[in-house]
Amino acid sequence: MATQTQVTVNPALERGWLYHVQDWVTTVDHKKIGLMYIAYALIFLVIAGVEAILMRIQLLVPNNNFVSPEVFNRLFTMHGTTMVFFVGMPILFGFGNYLVPLMIGARDMAFPRLNAFSFWVSAFGGLLLYFSYFAGSGLYGAGTAPDVGWFAYAPLTARVFSPGHSTDYWTLSILISGIGNIGTALNIVATTLCMRCPGMKLSRMPLLVWLYLVVSGLVFVTISPLTAAQIMLLIDRYLGGHFFDTQAGGSAVLWMHFFWIFGHPEVYILVLPAFAFANEIIPVFSRKAVFGYPAMVAASIGIGFISLSVWAHHMFTVGMGPGPNAFFTFSTMVISVPTGIKIFNWLATLWGGNIHFTTAMKFAIGFLFQFLVAGLTGIMLSVSPFDWQLAGSYFLVAHFHYVLVGAILFMIFSAFYYWYPKITGRMLSEKLGSWHFWLFLIGFHLTFDFMHIPGILGMPRRIYTYEADRGWAIWNMIVSSGAFFQAVATLIFVWNLVASYFKGEKAGPDPWDAWTLEWSTSSPPPSYNFATIPTVESRRPLWDRKHPEEPDAHYE
Amino acid sequence: MSTAVAIPHQPIEEWKLPSRGIVGMACLIIAESAIFIIFVVAYLFYIGKSLTGPTPREVLEIPWFATVCLLSSSITVHFAVQSLRSAKVNLCAAWLAATVLLGGIFIAATAMEWYDLIYHYGLTVRTNLFGTTFYSLVGLHASHVIVGLLMLGLTLIFALMGKVNQHHAERLEVISIYWHFVDAVWVVVFTVVYIVGR
Amino acid sequence: MERENKIHMPLPTAWPMALALGVALLVTGMVTSPGVSLLGLLLMLLSAIGWFRNVLPVEAHEYVEAEPDPMQVPSFRSSIEYLPAGPMHRKMIPVETFQFTTGLRGGIAGGIAMIVPATIFSLLKYHSLWYAMNLMAAGGFVSWAEQSDQFLAQFHIEGFLAALAIHTVSSLLVGLLYGAMLPMFPRWPILTAGFIAPLLWTGLLSSVLGIVSPILNARIDWWWFVPSQIAFGLVAGFVVNLHAKVRTSQFQALPFAVRAGIHANEPLDEAGGPESLK
Ligand code: HEM
Ligand SMILES: [Cu+2]
Repeated sequence: MATQTQVTVNPALERGWLYHVQDWVTTVDHKKIGLMYIAYALIFLVIAGVEAILMRIQLLVPNNNFVSPEVFNRLFTMHGTTMVFFVGMPILFGFGNYLVPLMIGARDMAFPRLNAFSFWVSAFGGLLLYFSYFAGSGLYGAGTAPDVGWFAYAPLTARVFSPGHSTDYWTLSILISGIGNIGTALNIVATTLCMRCPGMKLSRMPLLVWLYLVVSGLVFVTISPLTAAQIMLLIDRYLGGHFFDTQAGGSAVLWMHFFWIFGHPEVYILVLPAFAFANEIIPVFSRKAVFGYPAMVAASIGIGFISLSVWAHHMFTVGMGPGPNAFFTFSTMVISVPTGIKIFNWLATLWGGNIHFTTAMKFAIGFLFQFLVAGLTGIMLSVSPFDWQLAGSYFLVAHFHYVLVGAILFMIFSAFYYWYPKITGRMLSEKLGSWHFWLFLIGFHLTFDFMHIPGILGMPRRIYTYEADRGWAIWNMIVSSGAFFQAVATLIFVWNLVASYFKGEKAGPDPWDAWTLEWSTSSPPPSYNFATIPTVESRRPLWDRKHPEEPDAHYE
Repeated sequence: MSTAVAIPHQPIEEWKLPSRGIVGMACLIIAESAIFIIFVVAYLFYIGKSLTGPTPREVLEIPWFATVCLLSSSITVHFAVQSLRSAKVNLCAAWLAATVLLGGIFIAATAMEWYDLIYHYGLTVRTNLFGTTFYSLVGLHASHVIVGLLMLGLTLIFALMGKVNQHHAERLEVISIYWHFVDAVWVVVFTVVYIVGR
Repeated sequence: MERENKIHMPLPTAWPMALALGVALLVTGMVTSPGVSLLGLLLMLLSAIGWFRNVLPVEAHEYVEAEPDPMQVPSFRSSIEYLPAGPMHRKMIPVETFQFTTGLRGGIAGGIAMIVPATIFSLLKYHSLWYAMNLMAAGGFVSWAEQSDQFLAQFHIEGFLAALAIHTVSSLLVGLLYGAMLPMFPRWPILTAGFIAPLLWTGLLSSVLGIVSPILNARIDWWWFVPSQIAFGLVAGFVVNLHAKVRTSQFQALPFAVRAGIHANEPLDEAGGPESLK
């Protein structure tokens, strides 16, 4: 049997590309799977980014004919769907996969094979979604991609209104990628609960691991409702059911509820990992332990629960009546309490610290500021009368992109600068990093600060063009120009990733003088992570090893 | 500056972590419950909203016998795990066989009910909202029963082939937790469909 | 598990990937042609068996040769001085602080205290005990905002209950937020809670209330509203101040003399760090 296979240290050099393919396809190593998640997310990031640029070119000037209305509909649908399901989720799960076992001193995930399966099934989901461009109406028809918007409201999705298969591609690809998401979440929970190294009590776990635990818990109770709703949609479309068929007494609003029961917690699933990165990166570059660890844990759990009870703030304009409107306004505002606690704790961590402005830290500070602003526009939108004015406008688009780009993407960039040395053994260039940061920051603010204004002036989202006399033209011009800055910055980033892999400065195991376990093994870590399983006595095990004369254990 | 560091090891208390199989199954159950909740909510929401007949009262019979069979299979599977724990493989196989039989009866009863509904009352997914929600909720549950039966059946076959021993008790327990869950869901589905919904 | 320096790791396998491909083909068939689904089903079956045989009776594994961990990482901190030299490498801010629950208690007390100025306002301006209460309840009943002053001056049981609920919940929440901020501002709770926080809060409210509820906004008398907020804050701050501070974990790190209270007049929560305690 194969039980005795030996893996020698560096066989890859002598073997051909086939060996590499086989190596990656058959791997059950959490680090490789994490990297595949990240790589696949980056590819989709570029694709969805190109879609965004195409839309911005179309909106650059009034009465533009760069793309047709039909193409525009497909662009925003594919952009939104891709960014949420095939960029956001996989990149966050990728980092989680890579980091969680390393941070808790484990050699692998609890279910390594399930891990591989989850990745592949999500990845095939993404491929299926894009296959629709070639075969959307069924293999024999002309291809079209889904064009019903990322939340695919009924009755637009009924057979009569979207014939052919384009909507089915949307449903099916999300359905199977959801299976993968639930699998990975299950794996992360089982890993954190059952694979911790000796001494790694729950109260000593790095905050990143805590947040991934909360995120995974949220995945179970959010992706599953979406899966259920997609199954219902399939029953409607394939078997002639009536769940969302208003002609037969079905309800279109029910779909909205089901979708947003998923949709709102989903945005928290995306943002909590960004918090997780901030929790690791801000303390290390402030040279202080994170402030208020128990409050941070409590706030994370609190956010997880409250985020389940706010979904209908996406539906104020449906006419739910004063009772539900008041309830959801209130519950949405309540969520700012634990969020506020987190922001205060990060500020307190920075306060009095010895701040090192590395690129990772710059992105993290940008995150702090931008997340605050986005939270404020969120609070504005949570007030139902205010929302009646601005729902479905570019103000809303600006709000959520402020979070998705200004907070989440910034923290993802930060995470790349921070963990790239661990992953590859080489540092990313700080000089290119600076260019990347400043260009992206300028582009971001050009685009998304100014995007609020046409929204307030009444520009609806999802229109493919507009007339010149509306007074929106100049704002759209600014917004579109910012998009190009961001594109250039992203290219610099990609170049940095590639070039530093070959020429970057050697990193060594612990380039940042950090405190969590992943920095105690070599960079890149060996397949078994730790030759001897570590033991832990405080929240900052590496501090204890570096300063045996006064370990943290005495202070907790 | 010290390079080689002696870590001041406090003797670490005995380090015990939960079993990953059981944690994994618990997670799966949470996720599955969320799916069922959505289907149950849809069912409740659409009670009495069908524009045409037939109505549940006209066509549904309360499946007492099938319910009793399914619920008692929870007890038999429990005994199967118990006997495997105490290394009584043959006894375990017997209990497993009883479980599979009881579950099989349940599925057969559902199949007969559906046959009746389709061919005598003409109720399909397309007929009305009741048809849509009924078949999807009960069907979702039945598909879970079938998956459970497959797993239990395989275990039974392996047990009969003599390939199961005491060390597999934990795995069997994981399957049994799933089976208890399927039974608990039936209690909810039964209440909603046959009692509240009628 | 370890044999000499070999480590037991799961063996790579392609079955999970094959199963995923099977699932993907199964659903792809639904949008292309049934043949694809059939293929997917076959692949699923095959890979399920393969996977099964991979983990049963024992999970397939390999032994990987291990090298010793590199972790003898010296800290640069020991060689480069980032902080003013002290006997310890850490800075200690605050050593004493308040508990979270203290904030909650302050919130409750403040909530009760706030009723007094609000009621005085009602009595003086509208000769009614209930006006301020009904005004608050109007936040919950949309229709009430249009009611006359007379209506608002009368007692209404639903108004009482709504106002009670709104007031309790918001007092608790403000208290909670305050409790969360306390560890950062352990000094001067009466100043921070009594004046600064109410002023900030009122400013925020007065700027958004015009949008949230213009009618409510028209009726609120800001000259009375601010004092009742301040009353809330003062009492909350006072209650907090009554509570003993608890020691943060940093406390144990202090020299014994300080802990024992011999150097009691040392400014404990000075942000200076240990060097100021020598
Ligand atoms: C911190 C507090 C937040 C509040 C109070 C808030 C509030 C809101 C409200 C009220 C809406 C609905 C607007 C409308 O449809 O008219 C909304 C939309 C949205 N928010 Fe937030 N939000 C917050 C944070 C976030 C975060 C963290 C994310 C993402 C990670 C996010 C992403 C979104 C998205 C994607 C939408 C629009 C969905 C769509 O209609 O396509 N929000 N937010
Ligand atoms: Cu939301």
